[in-house]
Amino acid sequence: MIVREIDSNRDGGEASSALAVEGLRKVFQRPAVDGLDLRIRRGEFYALLGPNGAGKTTTLRMVAGLMKPDAGSVSIFGIDALAQPTAAKQITAWVSDEPMIYDKLTPLEYLAFVAGLWGVDPKLAETNARDLLRWLELSPNADERCEGFSKGMRQKVALAGALVHDPKLIILDEPLTGLDARAARLVKDVLLEKVRLGCTVIMTTHILEVAERMAERIGVISRGKLIAEGTLDELRHLAGSKLGDTSLEDVFLTLVADGEPAE
Amino acid sequence: MSEAATHPRSLFWLARQESRLSWRDLVWLMTAGYRWRTRSVVIWLAIVAIVMHLIAYGMVARYAAVDLTGGIAALTAISGSIGLAFFLMLSQALEQVTRLFYGRGDLDLLKSAPVSLRRVLGLRVLSVATSTCAMTVFVAGPFINVLTVQGGPRWLCGYGVAIAAGLAASGIALVLTSALFDLMGARRTRLAAQIVAAVIGSAFIIAIQVVAIISIGTMSQSAFFHSEGVIAHAPGLDSPLWLPARAILGDPLPLLAVLLIGIGMFIVPVLLLAGRLGDYAMAAASADMALGRGTRAGLTSIFLGRFRATGGAALLRRKEWVLLLRDPWLASQSLMQLLYLIPPAIFLWRSYGETQGALIVLAPVLTMAAGQLGGGLAWLAVSGEDAPDLIATAPITERRMILAKVQSVLLAIMLVFAPFLIAMAARSLEIAGVVVLGIALAASSSTLIQVWFRSQAKRRYFRRRQTSSRIATFAEAFSSVAWAGSAAIAASGSWVAIGPTVIALMVLAGAWIIRPK
Repeated sequence: MIVREIDSNRDGGEASSALAVEGLRKVFQRPAVDGLDLRIRRGEFYALLGPNGAGKTTTLRMVAGLMKPDAGSVSIFGIDALAQPTAAKQITAWVSDEPMIYDKLTPLEYLAFVAGLWGVDPKLAETNARDLLRWLELSPNADERCEGFSKGMRQKVALAGALVHDPKLIILDEPLTGLDARAARLVKDVLLEKVRLGCTVIMTTHILEVAERMAERIGVISRGKLIAEGTLDELRHLAGSKLGDTSLEDVFLTLVADGEPAE
Repeated sequence: MSEAATHPRSLFWLARQESRLSWRDLVWLMTAGYRWRTRSVVIWLAIVAIVMHLIAYGMVARYAAVDLTGGIAALTAISGSIGLAFFLMLSQALEQVTRLFYGRGDLDLLKSAPVSLRRVLGLRVLSVATSTCAMTVFVAGPFINVLTVQGGPRWLCGYGVAIAAGLAASGIALVLTSALFDLMGARRTRLAAQIVAAVIGSAFIIAIQVVAIISIGTMSQSAFFHSEGVIAHAPGLDSPLWLPARAILGDPLPLLAVLLIGIGMFIVPVLLLAGRLGDYAMAAASADMALGRGTRAGLTSIFLGRFRATGGAALLRRKEWVLLLRDPWLASQSLMQLLYLIPPAIFLWRSYGETQGALIVLAPVLTMAAGQLGGGLAWLAVSGEDAPDLIATAPITERRMILAKVQSVLLAIMLVFAPFLIAMAARSLEIAGVVVLGIALAASSSTLIQVWFRSQAKRRYFRRRQTSSRIATFAEAFSSVAWAGSAAIAASGSWVAIGPTVIALMVLAGAWIIRPK
């Protein structure tokens, strides 16, 4: 398979990259991620798309240090994440589609705990926590235990936890799953604001409209390999001129169909 | 089979569905969901059955000749054993009946389907009774079989008593659950029922031990039931209190009476309460939706302080304690084992100022309890992590994380046992020192085993932790027993304590070698 890539190294090498992944490989019964190369620039909003079982989540879990790759390298802001995991984790945040928080803690306590793990000064942590809760419209529930929260509220608490230590790289795996329109809008606004402030975001999503509207670059992954990468216009170009000014959904379906091996 | 019987929504169709679900749940409990374990589970069951028959032979073979001529002494001893088993059955049935209303699994589907909820729940109460009876027969079976082989077929009546007791326990459990719903409301019933079940399960044995300590100065239940005082105060031979014991000894009329009473105690509550079962299920579902909504931080934040960046280890320790103290169900499940420390505490108090013999008796009891408590708490801290991704992505090494969690377990255990140790130290520093060492080693061993065999699970699966790794469960039990033996012998000042110590170390070494890599 030919990886169709548009100028992905145009900003130079590893030093200027927020995330540089090379030859990443993970095999379960079959290769889930198969020699993946990925380079994300500093301050970029990058969306990783792919059909079910393409290897998106496995890739992100390896980048976040939740899973060890069988081969390959992961560099976060120049730090070798496999050799120095603690240093890499210090500047990284992870949010999954299933919010994992402690039911018996209040959002404020949860954020204080997370900030403590990342060694944030308690006063700064409290200020950050209150700002984030206000931003995410959780202030009225700040002192209530999370056990009665809806899925959307829990996801917002998890997101606040990811942001409370001011990470440089935010890794999100389907963060909008199960959120209502208002909660989804809030989360998207928070992420865009973080990117505006210099944060780098890599996110997987099944909602193509989100990728289309938020991401500066989009990577398409299929069968553990990156099959295309670029801006939406570049992807349109890759998918073939016949599509014209068409939606990401059409582009995505064309690229994925092209990436499948012939029967 | 008639078409009406197999027609969807018919009673038979529902019963078949229920029995299939129960069977699969049982298989899951034994195999923890791994199909490949089925063969090894069968082999294990066969081994367990053989071992249980051997244990039963050692314990009851000499009583095979006992019959009604044994008089009050025989009836008292048998009734004591029946009482112990019955309270355990009642505890199990109460938990199952509660789960019946709160287990969300398929209840939403059934409630939204055009079938009689009363019929479905009635069938589920019947399946509770069936599983309670089955469990009793499984545990009591080896003893009945040994007695039958040694003393004749009259002992087979024991199976009838076991079934009657299972039915009665299920009926009483239904009445108790209904009373809790009416008295406390659906929101509090689940926790209350679980605590009541745990208390009932331990109440009989604890009560007997306490009475035995106060009346005859021993913790032995057997000595209590054979004591002159109990026999002197027991009712006459014709008392209905002896019906179950007489039935076990092969008296046909008492057996018939016990069976009728058991069936009646099950059927009457089911018939009387059937109309309300659906309401309870609905109320439980509503309570579940509102669970915890608006609950504040509570007193734990005052006692344990706030989360601050005092180092990852201190934060993790504090987090473990806060989560445990704020979860009444988990706290009750893990700390309920402390109820068994009531008799030793009373024994310590009663024997204060007497010889050091009492302290030596307590050494293995406390060591064993520490091992068991340590295993439960370690599972919660190490495997029962509700935010594993958060901890795994935090800038803290796995080694430090595990160490912090282990520390949180050991500190909690030392806090629990401190009053005993202080009281013992006032009597004998040497024995208290041995017990401190025993408690620390037993708790550390259980904790280490949990660390080696850790497998991520939600904290709410605490009760099912033993099915995820039987090797860990057995290793934990064997090491606790070995350390308890070691503490007992060491407390009496003998070097023979080295024997069980070596066994405990071998158990640990074996667990370490076969731990999942």
